[in-house]
Amino acid sequence: MTNTQVTGLRRVAAGSALREQRRWQVGSLVRWAGITLVLLFFLTPILYLVATSLKRADEVFAGRFWPASPFWQNWPDAFNTIDLTLLMRNSVLVSGLSALLTLSIAVPASYAMVRYGTGGKPLYSIVLGSYIAPPVVALLPMFYLLKRIDGIDTHWGLALIHGLASVPIAIWLLDSFVRSIPADMEEAAQIDGAGQIETLVRIVLPLMSPGIAATAIICLILSYNELLFALVMTYQPATQTLPVGIALFQGDRLVNYGQMAAASLAGVLPIYVLALVFQRFLLGDRTQGALK
Amino acid sequence: MVAAPRMRSGQIWSSRRSRGWLLVLPLLLGLVAFSLYPLVYGLALSFSKSQLGNPFQAWIGVGNYRDALADEVFVDSLKRSILFSLPVSAIQVAAGLAIAIMLDANLRAGKVIRTLILLPLITPPIMVAATWKLIFNPTGGLLNNTLRDLGVIDAPVSFLGSSQWALPAVALADTWQWTPFAALLAFAALQGLPGDVLDAAAIDGASAWRRFWSVMLPTLLPALVAIFLVKVVISFKIFDLVYAMTGGGPGFDTNLASFQIYRVGLQQFNVGYAAAQTMIFGLVVGLVTLPIIIARDKMVARWI
Repeated sequence: MTNTQVTGLRRVAAGSALREQRRWQVGSLVRWAGITLVLLFFLTPILYLVATSLKRADEVFAGRFWPASPFWQNWPDAFNTIDLTLLMRNSVLVSGLSALLTLSIAVPASYAMVRYGTGGKPLYSIVLGSYIAPPVVALLPMFYLLKRIDGIDTHWGLALIHGLASVPIAIWLLDSFVRSIPADMEEAAQIDGAGQIETLVRIVLPLMSPGIAATAIICLILSYNELLFALVMTYQPATQTLPVGIALFQGDRLVNYGQMAAASLAGVLPIYVLALVFQRFLLGDRTQGALK
Repeated sequence: MVAAPRMRSGQIWSSRRSRGWLLVLPLLLGLVAFSLYPLVYGLALSFSKSQLGNPFQAWIGVGNYRDALADEVFVDSLKRSILFSLPVSAIQVAAGLAIAIMLDANLRAGKVIRTLILLPLITPPIMVAATWKLIFNPTGGLLNNTLRDLGVIDAPVSFLGSSQWALPAVALADTWQWTPFAALLAFAALQGLPGDVLDAAAIDGASAWRRFWSVMLPTLLPALVAIFLVKVVISFKIFDLVYAMTGGGPGFDTNLASFQIYRVGLQQFNVGYAAAQTMIFGLVVGLVTLPIIIARDKMVARWI
């Protein structure tokens, strides 16, 4: 190879690197413009709700995004207008109980379905298939069932329904976690003389714990946010959940929007905090790998 | 001597089997309570004349079904649900994929951004409705103000009160809430893509666009169809947004099937009729989702 040829090649290489760099710069500019738009779209409504919660009644629709001066009084007023503390306590209680029920059904079942192949593909299909039916299908029969067992207007009654409703999702989420547990570890434990139950509790449960945590958080959120069943199964303030309270507050003709925004934000805050604290479970590879 | 180990393994197998069914037993009970019983009870209700406080007054055969199929409000709500679910889900999956691609490629801020876009997804739908109602407010809501400042409109538009805009407005609120779902799942699918295939295509000098169309999209398609399927199923369940944003109106313009059934059963107390509508709705959801399930199964089979 002659010298000129090498130089020529170098020049071509340098040129293409430059072009590549320029293209990369343009690409990254487009990417960041896109990401800015995406964040603007997803965050503006939340910021708008925050801004509204700090506006006086006559300022809400005056046309500014941020209030001239923040009107903090909406927050304590919201807690006085509706019993937010009670609503949130009810929601936490119902969602906690329902997540417990979902997990105590789904964890052993998903383990047996994966490890022992219990029920085979038909059972798995039935479980996932049951999720396709809209919840309104179960609404009336469950209403009469709860009425029969005195579960209407009780925390446990609503928790029972939410807990059963989340089972298909829990099985779907747990599936890939159980698959990821190496069978040899269980076998090794059994060779070491551990009994079946001991193996399950000491070996399998700890290995499944990230999956259980992710599933628990998702079930908590699903129950906390649910409106349809909560609206139909609870009448009294003593059992009503937060979405029901907010829905009734919102339906009021003389609604004070600043207070309504404050109440909504106060209610959603526990969920946001939960999700931010445990985001590594929610954004984990396996939580989202359920489609593979 | 030879039979002994075989017998032992047989015992282990059978005890594993019984242990399996024991562990699955609560699930079976749950399925009976929340799937089988509602189906049987709902079917029975649908063949009866029933009021909320006084069910099973008389057996009336297929009367409720005949009425439901002749009921324009109900049939329209079914059509509306299908016409809402399919395009809205498709848009959300496409937008989700676009966002996932933007966030990919070792973006350092990716994790923060993914956490931020998680927020709409976990917001209670009733609060989503409250927020978007504020945004759509005709007098001084954010959207009206912005459009007026941009010179797009002269007079305020009542989006939720207009026949033309109410359903798209509900769809926009739904898109705000659910696009992150599609984006996060598409992101996970993207991570699972074999990197060497994309690299090889890049070395071959394929343009970014061609790499997307001929390598990335076909490989991701089964996952995207699965996301689409889940999203269609979720869309058919929409109740909260309609309940709080429009109450099904103006007229019946946003009367989606789940809300329609709620109205008939729990506001008009006509539960026999509502049960018949429920059965028809369930059947329609099954018929719409079945082709998507079959398509996905075929794709998975082809790609493996």
